[in-house]
Amino acid sequence: MHITMVKKIKEDGQPCRKCNDVMGKLERTGQIASIDHIIYADERDPSSEGLHLARHHNVELAPFFIVRDSDGEEKVYTSYLKLVREVLNGKVTQREELMELTERVGSLDYI
Amino acid sequence: MALSNIEITTLADVHKESEPQDILKLALESYDNIAISFSGAEDVVLIDLAARIGKDVRVFTLDTGRLHPETYAYLEQVRERYDVAIEVASPDHNELEPFLAEKGMFSFFEDGHKECCSIRKVGPLRRKLATLDAWITGQRHDQSNTRTDVPVVQVDPAFSSEANSLVKFNPIANWSSQQVWDYIRENEVPYNPLHAKGFDSIGCEPCTRPILPNQHEREGRWWWEDAKEKECGLHSGNLNK
Repeated sequence: MHITMVKKIKEDGQPCRKCNDVMGKLERTGQIASIDHIIYADERDPSSEGLHLARHHNVELAPFFIVRDSDGEEKVYTSYLKLVREVLNGKVTQREELMELTERVGSLDYI
Repeated sequence: MALSNIEITTLADVHKESEPQDILKLALESYDNIAISFSGAEDVVLIDLAARIGKDVRVFTLDTGRLHPETYAYLEQVRERYDVAIEVASPDHNELEPFLAEKGMFSFFEDGHKECCSIRKVGPLRRKLATLDAWITGQRHDQSNTRTDVPVVQVDPAFSSEANSLVKFNPIANWSSQQVWDYIRENEVPYNPLHAKGFDSIGCEPCTRPILPNQHEREGRWWWEDAKEKECGLHSGNLNK
């Protein structure tokens, strides 16, 4: 299995906050050891590899993960927590689940 | 009668320009286990419209614990006016208490509102919706750029599970704020007194403030946060190049 993480670099050259948050969690939990490759989707460079992968996989959120299994089949995860549950065999708390839901579903912002 | 996902997509297209009352009637005739989500603001029009249809309807609200006193009083006013038992969904103390112990009462001013909202609003909402087959919201296209594409009926994209589809009706999706307020005034619907004090969008007390004329209603919420910092999207402009 091979896991690629795609992180976003904003127009000001800084990594996006969500990507930083997820990176911090990967490092704190040691799960970063399972990430084989990190690629950047650089908003300053439309030809950057990460933006190319986002277009190819029709992904509009960062960060995202591409998991390739031993048969060469690829599956894209736009949810870090889903990756943790299904691929990294980690535990997810309800608080983490709710936070991710709140962050990812824009229309929930104003309930 | 539960609707299939295909039927819902078709209905959304057929009814995309239908009147709110017709969409609400369709919702109430299609599902028995359905409820209106009432925020204590101008979405009261849904309760008034339902009362005019004449079918009994369940109503629920999210009590975050941080609402304005005016909103609590208004919830009672609506309960009495429409003789409806408003079901209250509250935060899970197993989530809230450790959060407060760790971060205090005003952490949202430091690290953003979403963690607090996730515990005080999204958690209770998810728990409530898990008991329903369908729900009815007052979401409108003109409320924010996250709602411009909300259809009048949809399979709920956030709270449906792989096993169960939750259906979400948005009867006033096409109405403007002006149309909502015209309805409220013409039909003498009770409204939250905070609206008369300049609050267009009403949420929790610490996170809501009055706005000036011509400001968008969302400028009265989480004004201390940098909009750019909230983003995690890959801009479509870049993706299309």
